[in-house]
Amino acid sequence: MATRDSLPGPDPSVRDRLRFARQSVGELVPTPGEGIVGYVFLLPAFVLFGVFLAFPIIYTFYLSFFRFNGVGNDTLLWIDTGFFSYRLTSIADLEFVGLANYTTMFSDSLFHQALFNTTFILVVQVPLMVALALLFAVALDASFVRLRGVFRTVLALPVSANLVAYSTVFLLMMQDAGLVNYILTSLGLPAIPWLTSSFWSRITIVGAVTWRWTGYNMIILLAGLQNIPQQLYEAAEIDGATRIQKFRYVTVPQLRPVLLFVFVTSTIGTFKLFSEPVIINGGGAPLDSTITIVQYIYQAAFIDFRLGYASALTYVLIAIVSVLSAIQLNVGGDSDA
Amino acid sequence: MREETRREAVWQFLTYGFILLGAVTTLVPLYWIFVASTLEESEFLSSTDPRLIPGDSFLGNFEALRARENVQFVGRVGEMTQYVDLGPVYFAYDFWNLWNMGAIESSIFVAGVYTILSLLLCSMAGFAFAKYDFRFKQPIFYAILATLILPIQLLVIPLFLLMSQIGLTNSYWAIILPWLANPLGIFLMRQNMRSIPDALLESARMDGATEFQLYYKIALPTMKSSLAALSIILFLFQWNLFLFPLVILDQGKYTIPVAINQLVGAQRVYYDQIMVAATLSIIPIFILFLFLQKQFVSGILAGSVKE
Repeated sequence: MATRDSLPGPDPSVRDRLRFARQSVGELVPTPGEGIVGYVFLLPAFVLFGVFLAFPIIYTFYLSFFRFNGVGNDTLLWIDTGFFSYRLTSIADLEFVGLANYTTMFSDSLFHQALFNTTFILVVQVPLMVALALLFAVALDASFVRLRGVFRTVLALPVSANLVAYSTVFLLMMQDAGLVNYILTSLGLPAIPWLTSSFWSRITIVGAVTWRWTGYNMIILLAGLQNIPQQLYEAAEIDGATRIQKFRYVTVPQLRPVLLFVFVTSTIGTFKLFSEPVIINGGGAPLDSTITIVQYIYQAAFIDFRLGYASALTYVLIAIVSVLSAIQLNVGGDSDA
Repeated sequence: MREETRREAVWQFLTYGFILLGAVTTLVPLYWIFVASTLEESEFLSSTDPRLIPGDSFLGNFEALRARENVQFVGRVGEMTQYVDLGPVYFAYDFWNLWNMGAIESSIFVAGVYTILSLLLCSMAGFAFAKYDFRFKQPIFYAILATLILPIQLLVIPLFLLMSQIGLTNSYWAIILPWLANPLGIFLMRQNMRSIPDALLESARMDGATEFQLYYKIALPTMKSSLAALSIILFLFQWNLFLFPLVILDQGKYTIPVAINQLVGAQRVYYDQIMVAATLSIIPIFILFLFLQKQFVSGILAGSVKE
């Protein structure tokens, strides 16, 4: 194979010639054999994709127009032989309610609370984290900093922390008698009710999420920084730009697509927040001040068994996330070109 | 000029200060879980003077965690209560029964199996998309691409019903199967496999290689670094999965996130035991991170590319 590869190029095989001939007469039929092989390679992934991804996407939407009355028990197919019997039942016992699940949301105060909490965390956490990640990336990119590799490793460490396990660390540190309050009081500051006040418990979530994800975003931003042409900085220096001016007029505009990506993925991440409020705030305590949308979906679906309503909520969330992703792809795609 | 050097020095000082502050803030929680796991609860949960250096209660806490009735965090070797000699099948069954997997083993097992199977499926699908022509190739590819923007972990409601119907509740398959055909994985493999030269495949074909040999003797070996990056993405995805395992798994099958959730939600919360659990779940992956840093970083970056 190696010798063949080193030749100027293999002669066009019969297959290639056949394909060329077919293309030239505008025939769309694939070369014999090839089509089948492609399908064979694709088949396992395609079947699983269909059953566990495409079907749930469609079925969640379908379910959002129904009330769930229990697991299905209607027989769809019953094979009974002497040796074995197999009964395929319908997936769920449903009652059509039209748009009721969607209209219920308008008067569901707990859902509004969840939306508000998520938005609050979003508005405080995402800008804070992106700013920190950007500053760390720029600082680590500075030529005079030594031990860059070590610092980068340390800052990126939380990326590998299990989402639930790291949440327990914050649960412990933020106790009334925990480490953070100990540090505050030894500095002469008042202790803060991190887990029992509705305001501070949201701040605790913000802090935890920032700890976990800043390094992740820093890595992405660092890669973006390395793609900025050095000449731009040199040109700015010749024009007498200060550090801050270089940051403002070269770094930030050049990083715009990467920054946008980081913003959108972090926003989506906030909408998917689940482990942190469940572990740190025991499922939305105090008084549902930290309940998030996903957590509310979980409660509606698997505690209250209102699967139809939870499906409608899921679709609202999917709509939000899809719109955000579409914006990101469009705006980011523009500036890439 | 002297003014400038002084400003430069101040600037460097501030930059170092900022980086150091970040590094310390990152490391303190990590240090704290380790310290807390080696102490008694009353020693570290104190607003007046918590102990800040490691103690020697780790093994005690570990044993207490292991002895927990409702959550089995670490596996233990059980006693074989009865031995029925019914041939090799029953022997194998007994073997698995002897070793009761705890949450840690379950998580590693599930994430490992998931990663291997998903790598296989995604690379095969990516190979098909990159190197073969077939009908409906573009529509199928775009359908998969479209799901890339969906938070696929959120489709739990139909999955729950589906798993109940096909009898896979409380089975590891329930948390492995749904995400095997990972859209991101398929997309990444397809992008990378497009760079395999057609001439190489064609010449191997003329040498008599079968199509499957092209895949595992040519495509896979050239994709080593992408496969490594993807395996990190896949492993961490499964490792962090919480919502669906919480819904579908029962006691005895818990993965780490669900087990920790049970420990935190118990009537009496033992923080020392929870910290042992956290240490055991976090530290090994940290060590892995230190060794495989390049792959982690390329995994993160691979997840963030869009072409």
